[in-house]
Amino acid sequence: MATQRVLPQSKESLLQNYNKRLKDDIRSILDNFTEIVKTAKIEDETQVSRATQAEQDHYEMHVRAANIVRAGESLMKLVSDLKQFLILNDFPSVNDAISLQNQQLRSLQDECDKKLTSLRDEIAIDLFELEEEYYSSSYSQWDSTDLPLCEAYRRRDSWASPGSSCSSTQGDREDVEGPPSQETNSQHHLNGHGTSSIEKP
Amino acid sequence: MANERLRALEEVEKEIATILQCAGNIVLELSKDKHNASLLDRQLVQFQGSVNRVESELSGQIRYLTQVATGQPHEGSTYSARKDCQMALNRAEYAKVKLGELGRTCETLKPFS
Repeated sequence: MATQRVLPQSKESLLQNYNKRLKDDIRSILDNFTEIVKTAKIEDETQVSRATQAEQDHYEMHVRAANIVRAGESLMKLVSDLKQFLILNDFPSVNDAISLQNQQLRSLQDECDKKLTSLRDEIAIDLFELEEEYYSSSYSQWDSTDLPLCEAYRRRDSWASPGSSCSSTQGDREDVEGPPSQETNSQHHLNGHGTSSIEKP
Repeated sequence: MANERLRALEEVEKEIATILQCAGNIVLELSKDKHNASLLDRQLVQFQGSVNRVESELSGQIRYLTQVATGQPHEGSTYSARKDCQMALNRAEYAKVKLGELGRTCETLKPFS
């Protein structure tokens, strides 16, 4: 025997109600249809006149047909309620739907990030060259606090070997205290001119 | 799995319509002076088959729900994955905007090169 599950009273009574509705509606359809077919049979002997009997049979068939239609609509309502109950309470399928949706969203996110990463790598190369071209041109108007990418790479190389690049080009001030002072000195170095920091076309 | 059960219930709805259709056709045929016996037989077989199928399918669904229903609300959601995906799409959109600006800048600087 399958393990007995203790459902909350509301859910259990709800499902019992569904069962009852199903049985009642199916029974109603079958009984009313059977009675219609029986009533369709023409009998020779009737208790009332033929016209009265025909009228009575006609009315009875109308009512039974309406009962069949009502039972059919009640069955449709039952199906709708079962669909709603299934969506809300069928946990295995809800879990499957959630995990499938999560999987699809994550794969979309991974694909998006992968493409952005490859785009970043491609653009970094082009951007490096663009920056070199721009900041070494006579039309650049860069701010002294804005560090271009090529300069950042140069500085990183000079930090790796401190006696190599920047200090050798300095004239007056040689405060070799580290990166901040090298930044100040490099203004003069970068523009390609003597002492002025801002270029004018 | 959920879609299969919902699809089965949609088929049940069609079967219910078939039941009413067959019942109407049978009564219509009986109302004629001369009945087509073969048509009556076919419609009756179809009517009975549909009724049995509807009853068995709905009973099966109710039995399944009796086994799986817990009475507790389901607390799972796809919110976090959806949010992460939305952020990824926002990143892509932002990158597109920035690339557009870069492209326009390059176009502007072209006459000077």
